[in-house]
Amino acid sequence: MDAKKLKVVNKPVRKMDAMGLACGEPAFTDDMDFNGLLTGKILWSPHAHARIKKIDVSAALKVPGVKAVLTYKDLPRVPHTTAGQGYPEPSPYDTYTLDNKVRFVGDRVAAVAAETPEAAQEALSKIKVDYEILPAVFDTFEAMKDGAPVIHDEPDSKNIPDASRNIAAKFDFEVKNGEWFKEADFVFEHKWSIPYLQHCAIEPHTTIAYFDNFGRLVLRTSTQVPFHVRRIVAQALKLPVKNIRVVKPRIGGGFGSKQEVLLEDITAALALKTGRPVKIEYTRRETFVSSRTRHPSVVRMKAGVKKDGTITDAEMEITLNTGAYGSHALTVMMCSGSHTIPMYRIKNNIRFIGRSVYTNMPVSGAYRGYGATQGFFAWECLMDMMAEKIGMDPVEFRRMNYIKLGEGSPVFKAMGEGREGVEQVITSSGLFEAIEKGMAEIGWKEKSAKYAKPQTGPVRRGIGVACMMQGSGIPEVDMASATMKMNEDGSFNLLVGAADLGTGSDTILAQIAAEVLGIKADDIIVTSSDTDITPFDVGAYASSTTFISGGAVKKTAEKVRDMIFEVGAKILDVKKEDLRLEGGKVVSAAGASCSLGEVANTSLYYYNQHQITASASHFAHTSPPPFQANFAEVEVDTETGKVKILDYVSCVDCGTAINPQLARGQNDGAVLNGISHTLSEEMEFSSNGTPLNASFRRYKIFSAADTPPVRTFIIPTWEPNGPFGAKSVSEIGINGPLPAVANAVHNATGIWLFEAPFTPEKVLKAIKDGVRKA
Amino acid sequence: MKTNSIIEAKKGFFEIALKVNGERRELSVRNGEFLLDALRRHGWKGVKKGCDTGDCGSCTVILNGKPVLGCLVPAVAAHGGELTTIEGLGSVRSPHPLQEAFVEAGAVQCGFCIPGMILSSKHLLDNNPSPTEAEIRKALDGNLCRCTGYVQQVEAVKNAAKKMKRTSN
Amino acid sequence: MKSIKYYAFPSSVKEAMSLLLDRKYKAMALAGGTLVAKTLPDSVETYLDLKNVPIKGIKLAGGNLVIGAGATFDEIDRSKLCRSWAGGVISSAAAKCSSQLVRNMATIGGNIARPHSFNIFPVLLLGLDAKVRFACKTGTKLVDFQDLYSSGAGLRPGLDCLITEVIIPAKTRKWGCEFIKLAKTESSWESYIKLFFAVEKKGKFFAQARIAVGALSPRPFRAPAAEKALAAGETPEACAAALAAELAAARAGDYRCAAAANLLKRFVKSV
Repeated sequence: MDAKKLKVVNKPVRKMDAMGLACGEPAFTDDMDFNGLLTGKILWSPHAHARIKKIDVSAALKVPGVKAVLTYKDLPRVPHTTAGQGYPEPSPYDTYTLDNKVRFVGDRVAAVAAETPEAAQEALSKIKVDYEILPAVFDTFEAMKDGAPVIHDEPDSKNIPDASRNIAAKFDFEVKNGEWFKEADFVFEHKWSIPYLQHCAIEPHTTIAYFDNFGRLVLRTSTQVPFHVRRIVAQALKLPVKNIRVVKPRIGGGFGSKQEVLLEDITAALALKTGRPVKIEYTRRETFVSSRTRHPSVVRMKAGVKKDGTITDAEMEITLNTGAYGSHALTVMMCSGSHTIPMYRIKNNIRFIGRSVYTNMPVSGAYRGYGATQGFFAWECLMDMMAEKIGMDPVEFRRMNYIKLGEGSPVFKAMGEGREGVEQVITSSGLFEAIEKGMAEIGWKEKSAKYAKPQTGPVRRGIGVACMMQGSGIPEVDMASATMKMNEDGSFNLLVGAADLGTGSDTILAQIAAEVLGIKADDIIVTSSDTDITPFDVGAYASSTTFISGGAVKKTAEKVRDMIFEVGAKILDVKKEDLRLEGGKVVSAAGASCSLGEVANTSLYYYNQHQITASASHFAHTSPPPFQANFAEVEVDTETGKVKILDYVSCVDCGTAINPQLARGQNDGAVLNGISHTLSEEMEFSSNGTPLNASFRRYKIFSAADTPPVRTFIIPTWEPNGPFGAKSVSEIGINGPLPAVANAVHNATGIWLFEAPFTPEKVLKAIKDGVRKA
Repeated sequence: MKTNSIIEAKKGFFEIALKVNGERRELSVRNGEFLLDALRRHGWKGVKKGCDTGDCGSCTVILNGKPVLGCLVPAVAAHGGELTTIEGLGSVRSPHPLQEAFVEAGAVQCGFCIPGMILSSKHLLDNNPSPTEAEIRKALDGNLCRCTGYVQQVEAVKNAAKKMKRTSN
Repeated sequence: MKSIKYYAFPSSVKEAMSLLLDRKYKAMALAGGTLVAKTLPDSVETYLDLKNVPIKGIKLAGGNLVIGAGATFDEIDRSKLCRSWAGGVISSAAAKCSSQLVRNMATIGGNIARPHSFNIFPVLLLGLDAKVRFACKTGTKLVDFQDLYSSGAGLRPGLDCLITEVIIPAKTRKWGCEFIKLAKTESSWESYIKLFFAVEKKGKFFAQARIAVGALSPRPFRAPAAEKALAAGETPEACAAALAAELAAARAGDYRCAAAANLLKRFVKSV
């Protein structure tokens, strides 16, 4: 099958929530007013590592308007993880809603609820805490040494592989076919690093907890994972799941930071304590310090290559800083290898060594790219080093080695997310075409020839390439479901647990259902996601929604189609098998037809009275990777170190783009996020772990004026395992800019950059050091 | 609007009179409150709080003809002024051409930054009906977006400019 | 924002001054508000909003360029007069302030009222030999910008006096100038360094040379040795070396020294 025959899928259908959002309709968590709403605020640790010896809240409780003050003494002590992952979560259970120990500057100490924000703030200032300050450790390599402070010395944490050495997660894996590097003509080994990076969703994390008229707890919250929130809040506060409802309104971006139970437990605890609705809304500073970040990483990578271009061996050792808690510590670390190493064929030996290490720093977590960003920075730069050494064009070198249709990798089976993976082969790939298109758009041949000639003047130009893959959901872990019901006019309600956080998933899921049912997408009314109303879905992460939730919607629509045929056959007096759905009608082979409205009315009022409705679930045995080829053209001012991107071309194979316009938008955004990582972003800390630039003023994300030309091209392929040939698109694009720009800077100047971001200061230093060496 | 040259807070509130989206309104605003919080408290939820430090532009409103940061303007400063929020531009039933253009171009992902960005764009097109791409990017550089990469938003403003010129001719 | 008692909208400098000096009000002036609105001192009880005070105009007076203290960055950016002055350096500097929304609000008066390393105009005004006119208790006062930033001239702008005008002297009209904000990104609020270079050409020589350096500290400073080298017609390399030495003495660090020296070299070659 190919996409040409599709009527709704693969079309730029209008994003269904867009107009309301563009008109400022009250759609987000905080856009609803609640009578008697209290403001919740959290007291944050000023110390990187300390034990609470004494905590006195009596003065805080006396502040007029204060309704509750909670400390660790008031709550059940339940070790859990904040990572919104499938149960049982592969992240260590090392977190307590409130604890008698603080582990980073910005850790929770206590929480208050008060009638006004001012009263809540005043109460915080009146909580007296007597800390026993403990030695702290900020560097992963220091933290693993003998005698380093032990951050998780509590006896009741679970699933920490080596708490005494601050190891939150570890994974080693080796394929051995002979002696290491024996066949290699050249061997390279370097280290690449990425600093603390924040998601910077423009809507800060917000939760409102209130009670419905049955006294059940309702959490209206900015989350990517409503069902995991329900489960983890129930676990942490020892509540029955049935007493909690989680409502996801429109979400102002997440990028992984909202795949996390950050506020829901403590907001719920305050609501339960006061019996009143309570809101906690992070300030921007709190979003930087006390939500989640990308895992800072050091990737040491060593690889061997033969003169003919064969990659003989590859070893990747990744050390992630997970901060004070191990949220996503194991899985991000494993994905840094499992999403990257299979990219190229490695003839003999493969080794992966992964460690996620606790430090007294802010907590890392899921972030778009999920480890692949860290891994590809190393792998794709190393590819260029090897190509240069053997005198091969970097594009040709990649073409020779990248994973092809029908090929597998031992890594797929060995490395899953927190456990063994699933064996798979590549069932669709447009990488060849993506590279062709990208080369043409950027002008690879002419420009690489031009920039190979000696350049004069202080400003040098260069061109670089990077190829990437990602996954589409977690095979045999992620599961999604959908429910549809038919209305009298032939429209349908589609209820999905999938969490649209601004990605447009509601729209593309409607398109999938509409394609099956032969109707327009706007004949489908989508509800996402409410744990009381919509069926289960793991949530919006791991690039799973299109592939997994899309699969569930397609199955559901097919079941509904079957029920429609049942009734249609009766109305038209033909066999079910002779019917098809087209243009809002049931049509027979002979050309007779009846409208869907007639089918609905017949089912509701006349024939075997019933509601046409169905539910279905979907999980997958594979995770077909999308592929990308990215090309960057840069200008480097060798006298100031300033790197300017002149053109950035990103060609993405996401199978069938269910909605090409939205897919392009996903990729543009991912690429710019990656570019911003590459040239600007970095959280800075003082020597005692205090964040120094926790604001948009000082942690600079790219504005419209800073942004270089970013050009996304969608390369259509057909993925047989995906709904209408689709694979994922949301994450992959963020992995390209670091290596593509590093390779382009090398092409322009001859220097290699190993530490993100590539600030003018670092670039100028690298140029100077390079000149000194030469 | 004509106003007294000095007003006094009573019981922690200033009583201010202003025009919001073309309608005369009298509002009580706290004496330590910024325009962003006052507007949200009075029901204009289209004004968003993204940073509260003047760096993201989600709280953009047009005050006396200029897009400004609602989180940096004391609420009382709007006394006697004319204010346009996103709610004053158009509605789902009857959208402004810019709202239409943003939706058509796929420029709305999470949508949190969009009201501010549309107001900045409106001011641009009101004063410069045929902006260049560089002028569009400069006019929008205070409205941060993390979802889109700005590509489709710049396209939307270009498309809206064409459409608005056609209808005004 | 700190809670306040009064909010005043004076419509003349005279009215503003009388409110400012009236002890009953404990007033502080607010121009664009982008810097002070969130950080009002505890002692202040009245906000003095200057938006109706007629100190916004940009005009030529006696050959000098006179910019009203209430002119916003955006107005300065768009002003034809500013764009024509000294190669348009004043407008292009205004455009380099963080974002359009801030440029719509922030004023030149507010930008120089208190020294901050991220301010845009001080480095420029220092290099252009600007003067600043104040309204104060005793009437008006004209102060060299340089003195305002070195000694403070005994003035506390916004608390006991108002900045009303910034005067750029006529002699600078034809100067060849460059303003550079070297930062991670174009719209960064902060920068590694801000540089202002200017020369007045007389035939083959430079009659005047100015080099001002900002962002290293709240107060910008001039680089006299490099200026001297520039005015003496020394080689670009020699000028650059002089600047690098002066920056090193100011503990600017290797990067800033090297980049600034390179940028000066480039400027000298270009003029």
